[in-house]
Amino acid sequence: MSRTAAILLVIALIAGTPAVAVNVATPHGPVEVFSRGDLLDLVALLRLTGAQVAFAPAAGSYTALLAEHEVQFTPGGSLAVVDGRLTPLPGPVRTLEGHVVGSAATAVALLDPMGWTLSGTEGEPRLYPNASGERIAVELVPSANGPLVVVRGTAQKPRLVAGPGQMTLQFGSPLELTQPAHPQGELLGVDVHENTLTLRLAPGVEVASTYSLADPPRFVVRLAAAGTEARGELAERTGPLVVVDPGHGGDDQGARGPGGEQEKDITLAVSRLLVQRLQAAGIAARLTRESDDTLALVERTALANRLKADVFVSVHLNASPAKGARGAETYFMNADATDAQAAQAAERENATASSNGLELILWDLAHVANLNASSQLAGTIQGQLNALHGITDRGIKQAPFVVLTGATMPAALVEIGFLSNPDEAQRLLTPDFQAEIASAVAQAITSYVRSPQAAATPTVGQAP
Amino acid sequence: MSTRRSVAAVQTLLAAVAALALLECRARPAQRPQSQAEQAAPAVPPAALVKVYLFFPGDDTLLHREIRDVPELSTAGTTRIRSVVEELLAGSQSGLAPAFPWAATVEAVFVDRSGNAFVDFTAPPADAVQGSDTEIMLAYAVVNTVVANCAGVERVQLLFGGHEVDTLGHLDLSRPLAARPQLVAP
Repeated sequence: MSRTAAILLVIALIAGTPAVAVNVATPHGPVEVFSRGDLLDLVALLRLTGAQVAFAPAAGSYTALLAEHEVQFTPGGSLAVVDGRLTPLPGPVRTLEGHVVGSAATAVALLDPMGWTLSGTEGEPRLYPNASGERIAVELVPSANGPLVVVRGTAQKPRLVAGPGQMTLQFGSPLELTQPAHPQGELLGVDVHENTLTLRLAPGVEVASTYSLADPPRFVVRLAAAGTEARGELAERTGPLVVVDPGHGGDDQGARGPGGEQEKDITLAVSRLLVQRLQAAGIAARLTRESDDTLALVERTALANRLKADVFVSVHLNASPAKGARGAETYFMNADATDAQAAQAAERENATASSNGLELILWDLAHVANLNASSQLAGTIQGQLNALHGITDRGIKQAPFVVLTGATMPAALVEIGFLSNPDEAQRLLTPDFQAEIASAVAQAITSYVRSPQAAATPTVGQAP
Repeated sequence: MSTRRSVAAVQTLLAAVAALALLECRARPAQRPQSQAEQAAPAVPPAALVKVYLFFPGDDTLLHREIRDVPELSTAGTTRIRSVVEELLAGSQSGLAPAFPWAATVEAVFVDRSGNAFVDFTAPPADAVQGSDTEIMLAYAVVNTVVANCAGVERVQLLFGGHEVDTLGHLDLSRPLAARPQLVAP
């Protein structure tokens, strides 16, 4: 095709592209709203709530009025004035093809002060007054891997907060139960309040993993029969406990090898061997996931925190845009992350009736001490890996990894090699080398937990 | 001050803030050094060239500095940030690895009053970002590049597809990151 013909074809395609619109479900029926990508017409959405929206040329801003609420925003800016208060928006307000547009998150932020909610923005958007919410049904379904709590009618992935005898799921929009959920087996009750769904669990039951499913959309919480086992571990334990975290799992496959091998499978294989080696050395050890489960990053450290583990080690394989990258490295938490946010994360994960300011201060003291201990743990692991034949030493490093944030015990993340390097990947895929790696890391952890510094390192549970 | 005057004052403040600090940059392609033929054209005076410092991943999983001459950069914060990040996204001219494993483009740039820059990129395709090293190189290639070239910017937060993200799999990206000189090869 000649260049001119190609240009004409492109022009024809552009000219023939219809304006993209999205159907927004409202209490008065579906309404077509201008949309481009994930940008939505903000003025149109505000008007759908009944708000009066006007442009003030002198200020260059729009004002939306509904009842006693007033929201002002300026195309090109990412701030709004909500009822007289300057408020940051999640994203910018833009002008596009004569429409004032913003991301779904920005739309939600502008609509919320007016008493309206926009949900389902990744599928079929729904605009409704805050008084009514996404209609969900909750039921307990038995399965071979443990009972499942299935939340039907939502495509959202809520944030989980563990509490004594319950798990709280915080959604991005209000919820409404289509029918009361009656006590069933391990599920003693279900409460809904605005954006929050609380699952009241039978004694000894805890959340093992969570995942989302489509067609129809639903969120699944797998309850662990091992909850009782976990409590037993806590009560009966006399020696140190190591929690080993096989990186990734379930929907999250991690890095891929040259033949499509998945990081999640290799981390699980190495971690299983690592736990076996530790147990053989007389050290209590358990995995964050026993099989190919989806497990949120925060849930991994939350489990270690709940069990008051003495060591947390996350096992990963690396990948790099630089194809020559190879070797093993061990990370511990970046000092930058030891701030109030990390403390709040830990406090959230360990939410108990006794959480208060003193608990946070104790956590902070423990976490600073843990930085030094984590550094020693990482150094010991890296030292043992370096002793293996053919390992390229990439050293001990620090990074603000989410899976290490909030750990209340010495914690490290070990990258055992690069799947993106074909030579190294070939070696990492062999069971013999995986066993060597597991033995080396087990030796390092054993050496660490029996060191004087490990014995002197406080955790939140042990702080004075 | 009455409520209406207060709102009017805040409205003026909003307009000023939006105009001075938070205006989104108009999209403009990264300027490239002119070709020899273009430079030879007598009617156009040659543009003054300035150096930008870009950081790309190497096989040692450190960032390597690449110094590039580009036409004079805007002194306006957001326009300057967009220009240097687009130079980074254009790739290395010395054979270093790309900072981004997908063909990302800059969607928007903002700067707040605390010296935090927010750079919004097109969202990565599924499974495009693999491995902690990829994430670290990606994030700190951007952060180090912006901080090295844009006075007044101390931290950078990466946004994707117009949204804040907690992580791309490993690294905490939920807040602005400070530059990390220790990730740069000596």
